[in-house]
Amino acid sequence: MIKKLYNLWPEPGLLIRLGALHAINAVLQGVLLGMLIPVLRVLLQPKPDFSAAEPWLIVGGIGLFVYAILTIIATPVGFTASMELTAKLRHRVMEHITSLPLGWFTTEQKARMARSITADVGNAPNLAVTIGAPAITATLVPATLILVTFFVDWRIALLLLSIMVLALVALRHAGNVAAIADEELEETATEIAGRAVELGQAQTVLRAAGLGVTGTSRMQEALEGHRITYRKGLQKSMWPDLTYTGVVMGGFIALIVLGTQLLVDGTLSVPDTIALFVIAVRFLEPLGSLIELIGALRAMNNAVTRVQGILDTPSLPKRNNGIKTVEDADITLENVRYSYGNNLALNGVSFHCPPGSTTALVGASGSGKTTVIRIIARFFDIDSGTVRIGGKEITSYDYDSLMQHIAVIFQDVYLFDTSIEDNLRLAKPDASKAELAKAAELACLDEMIGRLPNGWETRVGEAGTSLSGGERQRVSIARAFLKDAPIVLIDEASSALDPENEQAISRAIANLAGDGKRTVIVIAHRPTTLAAATQVVALHEGQVVELGNPAELRIGNGVFSKLYKQYEKARSWYIQKEY
Amino acid sequence: MTDNLIDTTDPNDHPSLMSPGALGRLLQPVRLKLLAATLLSAIAAAAGLAPYIAIAEIGRHTLSLSSGSFAHDKLWLWVTIGLLGAFLRLLLTFFSSRIGHYADAEILHNIRVRIVRHLGILPLGWFRYKGASAVKKVMTNDLEEMHQLIAHSLRETVGAAVAILVGSAYLVAVDWRMGSVTISVLALMFVSYRIAMRSITLHMSKLLAAEARISSASVEYADGISVVKTFGTSGRMMRRFAKAVDEHTKAMSAWVSETKYSSALARLLASEMTVFGVVMVSGLFFVRSGSLAIGDLIPFLIVGIGLPTSIVPAIHGGQGLRKGRLSAGNIENLLNRKPLPEPSQPQNVQGHRIIFNGVSFAYDGHNMVLKNINMTCEPGTVTALVGPSGAGKSTLANLLPRFYDVTAGSICIGGVDIRSIPSKHLLTSMSLVFQDIVLLRDTVAENIRIGKPRASFSEIKEAAQAAQIHHVIEQLPNGYDTILGSGSSGLSGGERQRLTIARAILSGAPIVILDEATASLDPDSELAVQDALSKLASGKTMIVIAHRLHTIKEADQIVVIDRGQIVETGKHNELIVANGLYSRMWNAQQKNQNQYDKETI
Repeated sequence: MIKKLYNLWPEPGLLIRLGALHAINAVLQGVLLGMLIPVLRVLLQPKPDFSAAEPWLIVGGIGLFVYAILTIIATPVGFTASMELTAKLRHRVMEHITSLPLGWFTTEQKARMARSITADVGNAPNLAVTIGAPAITATLVPATLILVTFFVDWRIALLLLSIMVLALVALRHAGNVAAIADEELEETATEIAGRAVELGQAQTVLRAAGLGVTGTSRMQEALEGHRITYRKGLQKSMWPDLTYTGVVMGGFIALIVLGTQLLVDGTLSVPDTIALFVIAVRFLEPLGSLIELIGALRAMNNAVTRVQGILDTPSLPKRNNGIKTVEDADITLENVRYSYGNNLALNGVSFHCPPGSTTALVGASGSGKTTVIRIIARFFDIDSGTVRIGGKEITSYDYDSLMQHIAVIFQDVYLFDTSIEDNLRLAKPDASKAELAKAAELACLDEMIGRLPNGWETRVGEAGTSLSGGERQRVSIARAFLKDAPIVLIDEASSALDPENEQAISRAIANLAGDGKRTVIVIAHRPTTLAAATQVVALHEGQVVELGNPAELRIGNGVFSKLYKQYEKARSWYIQKEY
Repeated sequence: MTDNLIDTTDPNDHPSLMSPGALGRLLQPVRLKLLAATLLSAIAAAAGLAPYIAIAEIGRHTLSLSSGSFAHDKLWLWVTIGLLGAFLRLLLTFFSSRIGHYADAEILHNIRVRIVRHLGILPLGWFRYKGASAVKKVMTNDLEEMHQLIAHSLRETVGAAVAILVGSAYLVAVDWRMGSVTISVLALMFVSYRIAMRSITLHMSKLLAAEARISSASVEYADGISVVKTFGTSGRMMRRFAKAVDEHTKAMSAWVSETKYSSALARLLASEMTVFGVVMVSGLFFVRSGSLAIGDLIPFLIVGIGLPTSIVPAIHGGQGLRKGRLSAGNIENLLNRKPLPEPSQPQNVQGHRIIFNGVSFAYDGHNMVLKNINMTCEPGTVTALVGPSGAGKSTLANLLPRFYDVTAGSICIGGVDIRSIPSKHLLTSMSLVFQDIVLLRDTVAENIRIGKPRASFSEIKEAAQAAQIHHVIEQLPNGYDTILGSGSSGLSGGERQRLTIARAILSGAPIVILDEATASLDPDSELAVQDALSKLASGKTMIVIAHRLHTIKEADQIVVIDRGQIVETGKHNELIVANGLYSRMWNAQQKNQNQYDKETI
């Protein structure tokens, strides 16, 4: 655990100082309680001898004062530590995230990341500070008291020692059992969460099927499953909990019996017995509160593990003296293989795009088109084979410089919540008004900007929500014009757009690809785009099945020709009733 | 957009601390069990003090006599009391915990079932704007917070309070002056704790707001990461994030500097050593002045010092209670939400003619999205709704299955107002094929069968064949028994859409509503879906919403909607001649098509 924390903060000075402060304070507490023994020895007499107790009382008073000072200091120090560590960790996690390959940023990962960077990063240090202190106190105070007891009576000391050992064993066991039960319960809770989402989405279908008020049988099973697992988990985790309480309570009983026996035997004097009683109670009590820390400890462990999981994701390897400029805008893929986990996405893909050419990628969904685009943009590095740009391996370039030469137009275009102009300027911060206007014109964005209430100044809303998908893609195309990169990668919008947008995008892509200056690779869904391509690469299950000129391929009987006919047929379909 | 309107005008949706009475209502089914668990926990807490008191009494007793001559039987009596107390504590804790947790398991199940049942009668529109995540939140997160309340906070808080009360009473009985001194330390601690926590709500909301900004800055960064990276402008984004982190730290340190002394004081007072010091100083003072027997000091050293240990869980328990009540509020809000009114006198439908009669609708009751819509869909005909995006086509289609009820006017099917048709009958009479494809995480066969729960397997297969999906299903690892995952499941969008069409074909509902059913599909799978739709269409009363006008040019009637109103109605040819909005839209699309034809020739 401590090692895990150390991994999060390589300079743990603050945590160590804070821990040391609490450790000193805990030992001090034990020693102060131990001083009861000499005090009670002289006071618990028929005639209390106050003068003999005085030096002890004075030292004890000073000790208590020091204790108070340390406790008061520890509070703000703890707050500050927690705050500083949180901020440091946040920056560290965010910095790491910026170095990750683009392929990492899936919807799931983004949700995880947002949660980690707010909740986990805040909780880990907070818990480290807030449960660190009681954990240190609850172990060091009893340990010190055992030591003190050894000086007075070894039998009681041995009893306390064995209680402590037993308690720690029981505690460990309880923690493990609870962790397992938690995991099992988490599983059923996840199932319920999934079913709940389904319940929300499929409400119409369920109602039509008459299952509106009961949910599907699987929903009912999930609810019942949760109840059963919960009960089972309780039965499992209740025993270790009780065992722990039993150890502490048993400790009390053993202490009372042993102490009283020794007192009756006369082998332990009255003052010593009473002093040891007081000390033993102080020993048992913090021990009893340890079990309450288990849950918080587990929460901290989970938070730390999640944050560490992000920090452990390998970042894209950086080259220090990578090539800075792209000489020729030609792209070559040779025998490229790439897998998402166990899913082979590209299985030996090879093709060449000469400078200034337009290559259309076609194929059914899942054939690997998008993966090809992503590996050229270095979202992730390939498993084997080579990707060359301008005759040089893509990994030999300096990443940032390479990105200067590539413009990517995605299907789901992300716009920042600022003005249209700012969103365009991302591509070229110092662009002149004329350049902006030119890019907008070529991307067929000018008429849209003319329609917006504040023109160029119009805010686009978070994630560009106030613009339609087609309009967002046009903004993205305008960015590509402005950036004037020699290589453009396009994932054409596949869904049906309203006619105006469709027309505008087709024209914009034609402008981008048609002038022969750029090397364009486009995942094409529209006959217009296909017809304008210099070459077509048809993919099927991660392999190139056809390659050639679109006009020629259309005549044949291959994949492309079939796809093309399908596109055509789909475009002329209309609803008619079959009688 | 419209979603927000609904949200802000709905007072029910603001989570609020629920009055304890309402919490009680929610927990009604397990009230007795909770009461028993709490009572047992209280007795257990009291019994848990017995070993302490026994030790203290043994000390007192030995000291009250001249040394060496104490009564053995009295000592062993206290030993027995301590032993019994410890044992009782263990036993009662066991039962209390068991009953409490069982009550928890039961009430969680009970409330979940109630939520499912209630969701089943809410207006469907609620799901549209609240979304599935709201259902998930209430069924998991909110209920888990309540679990804390039921299973832990309640019992622990009461237990701690009893321990403090019994302990204090014992101490006062031993010596009232010393007792009062000890209690006053606790009281002081409580006050400083309250001072430290006085502004917690304000600061917490500031911190939460700062955290939300951190979250949105990081999400925005991640969402826009491809843009940021390909344009190499991460600096601006990082600044935003750094600013949000700074704000958070500032908010935190503002709180800290305001409360650091009071919370340090609270922490000091809550420490056993403070009570230890106070007990020693005041006790020795009284002993020296002769007004306190030295033996009477022992209970304070043994029971008194331990009292703060009980207070901390009591305070934390209080926070748990507050959270639990907040979540209970969310749940109760949902359960109190007004269900879709069911007809008191259901009427029988004659045929399937659909008539919209002066229908107006506003999501918020004021801003009309649909104005005075009059139209009739004859049985067995195709009605197409066309118009610019945002004109109100989808809203109009959503009124038919009663996702929302009309604001004015009425909709009749077979001569009966849809509000007088039991919602189950209404929904069974129509198939909805929308862009968002809804599949259950169940087998392929079940996903089709839900269209007609009593269908035989051969009927299911026939429907799958008609929807052009049978051959795809056959190739799945377990054929019709393959369980569809929540996400991919190996079926493409078009294949998933065809499954829902197979479901619709199986149900045989006489009315079919298509809302841009092929819009989000890959063109690669569009054709197969279109074939499936043609099968579904045969003999049905159809309402179709379409962007691409050529897909509906054969429709029996085309209704053109603009800004919530019907501007034109007619057949394709008539509308082309009329030279209105439809004709303009058609020409624009044809121009695009011609351009493509020109390029491909």
